[in-house]
Amino acid sequence: MYLIWMHTVEFQSVSKSFSEKDIIQDISFSVRQGEIFGLLGPNGAGKTTLIRLLLDIIRPDTGEIHVFGGLLSPAVKDRIGYLPEERGLYRKTGLLDMLVYLAQLKGIPKKQANLNAESLLKSLDLYQYKNKKVEELSKGMQQQIQFLSAIIHEPELIILDEPFSGLDPVSTKAVKARILELRAAGKTVILSTHMMEQAQTLCNRILMLNKGRRVLYGPVDDIRRERGKNSLVVEFAEKEDLNVIREISGIKKVIESGKSVEIFPEEGINIQTLLEELVRRANLLRFEQALPSLNEIFIETLESAAND
Amino acid sequence: MINFPGKTFIVARHEFVKTIKRKEFLFMTFLFPLLLTGISLLPAIFSDMTPAEDQKIGYIDVTGALEFPQSVRSEGLSLGSSEARTSVMEFVMYRETSDARQSLQAGRISSYVIIPGDFLETGTIELYSLEKEAPVPNIELSAELSDIVITSLLKDKVDEPIINRVRDPVNIKFYNIGESGEFSEQGIAEIFASFGLPILTAFLLLFSIFSSSGFLLRGVAEEKENRIIEILLSSATPSEILTGKILGLGTVGLLQIVVWFAAIALGSGYALPVKIDPVTLFLALIYFVLGFLFFASMMAGIGAVTSSLQESQQIAGIFTFAAASPLIFMQLILTDPDSSFSVFLSLFPLTSPVAMLARMGASSVPDYQILASISILFVSVHGVILLSSRLFRAYLLMYGKRPGLREILKNLRAGSR
Repeated sequence: MYLIWMHTVEFQSVSKSFSEKDIIQDISFSVRQGEIFGLLGPNGAGKTTLIRLLLDIIRPDTGEIHVFGGLLSPAVKDRIGYLPEERGLYRKTGLLDMLVYLAQLKGIPKKQANLNAESLLKSLDLYQYKNKKVEELSKGMQQQIQFLSAIIHEPELIILDEPFSGLDPVSTKAVKARILELRAAGKTVILSTHMMEQAQTLCNRILMLNKGRRVLYGPVDDIRRERGKNSLVVEFAEKEDLNVIREISGIKKVIESGKSVEIFPEEGINIQTLLEELVRRANLLRFEQALPSLNEIFIETLESAAND
Repeated sequence: MINFPGKTFIVARHEFVKTIKRKEFLFMTFLFPLLLTGISLLPAIFSDMTPAEDQKIGYIDVTGALEFPQSVRSEGLSLGSSEARTSVMEFVMYRETSDARQSLQAGRISSYVIIPGDFLETGTIELYSLEKEAPVPNIELSAELSDIVITSLLKDKVDEPIINRVRDPVNIKFYNIGESGEFSEQGIAEIFASFGLPILTAFLLLFSIFSSSGFLLRGVAEEKENRIIEILLSSATPSEILTGKILGLGTVGLLQIVVWFAAIALGSGYALPVKIDPVTLFLALIYFVLGFLFFASMMAGIGAVTSSLQESQQIAGIFTFAAASPLIFMQLILTDPDSSFSVFLSLFPLTSPVAMLARMGASSVPDYQILASISILFVSVHGVILLSSRLFRAYLLMYGKRPGLREILKNLRAGSR
């Protein structure tokens, strides 16, 4: 019971099938309060189904879902914000009216909903469009409005399904900053995305699904460390120091990248001795085990699953 | 099955406000009755604007038995005003057909009649007019000729009151006897109230049910098409959304009915002093509420299963046709309201709201049949709402290919999971 209270979300052996096809198979995981939790997986992995289960839009065939320390029920919907992958807004409705309606559906009284909507629109410099119909706004503005509709009721848990899809680099940066703001404000964020780079920089922990099964789960750093490569990353203060590498024996391969190099030591080389040697010859800024990117792990995991 | 929490009312209010701002709603509710009234009054207005024409009629009486007056004042029927429109009909005698024809061609007379020698045996009178003249039968002349024939043949043989009776044999006055034995005269207004009003109500009911449940079908299909349904479902349960929509659009339908009835009350107050029977009104209200719930839930289910507005409208059309079928059989229901077929239509839930109100207008329907009809409709409403909310939950988030009938049936059986 104590553990359940520690977590914002907890799935316990949850399974769901449609038309006798298993979409989610015996999935267990938990999301901690105040973290950004990545939900990763290829198309058709079951990410959206898992989100819909969490939102009580569909019910699991077996297993239990706990949210905010209690069994999932329609009552908790008001404490969750949701940005669906398939964006949808009332195209012919006025911006303010639509935001107020969506906030009211989340249990916010009309007066407060109005205040929240106006304040959010002002924060994004969209206040002057408050009476415009959604269809009259630019695509970029519509995406911003979609994001606002997910947070207008100040939810404790925010689920973002592919929030970066279709965004230009500037908008991507803005959304990323907003996600970090949410975490800084103590909110829990579940981020479902294909963009591994974003997941790697934003997420504290991840769950990777493939064909409805859990294939990876845990803190991003731990996962990367566990799959660490047999190589080291060395960053020098000066680019000229890169030549030092060639003078040291016991290194079979070097990949240069700016002031850094990834070095592959020969079998049996003592890493401590190698470090001491490098420190003696050059000015080092960084010396660490090379870790695979989340993207590499993602591809490797899927390929090995395909071969099994 | 249904609870009415706050979110249901939020959805209901949203649907209500959104719909009453729609141009289609404003047209159907306010302009449609005006248009209908305008169309029905146009002939009367035009007939009032057209002055009654005096006529000069020539005649050749071969029998010599008829006495034509020099002129008669003819009373025509006027729809728009209470005063009869009058015109003068002048008769000109001719001895020869050629003279009459010449006068006709010269435009001195508008037509001429020949009463042949064998008229008493055959009753046939020949009427001649120019080809370019309107070929419509001259009803006023026909009536005047009948009067001339009756008066001429019976004059000096029977008393004048009898002649008058033969000319205008029967004027029926209608009386209703109440339960306590009192009786009252039934005028056109009363006949309209007991016969026309339930039928009119049936028509309005059907229009209103169709337009409001059509809004629901369109709303669900659009929300599914533009994907906002997923946000709604993350905020409220399918039952709350479904019930809210039905409640909101049901109120829209009721508002429409109220506006239409107010228009009828105002219009009829001007033309006919109609008293609306409270029992008919009450039953109309029950049939509206149940009929609307039945069709709206069905439309919501169809909207949930189909993948586009166009597809949903095609499928809904089948059920709409079934619901409108009492209009096709209206004559049958009115002429034989107690036949097995009429009774069946008034019990079958798809057709009962319209068929029963039409039957009530045409005859005195036994109470047990009204009760049975309402009960069947009530149970059906319950069933359709249950099935629709299952479809709502199962298919609202499925896009692309429409599920097959077998899969839909399986999901209906599977319940709310």
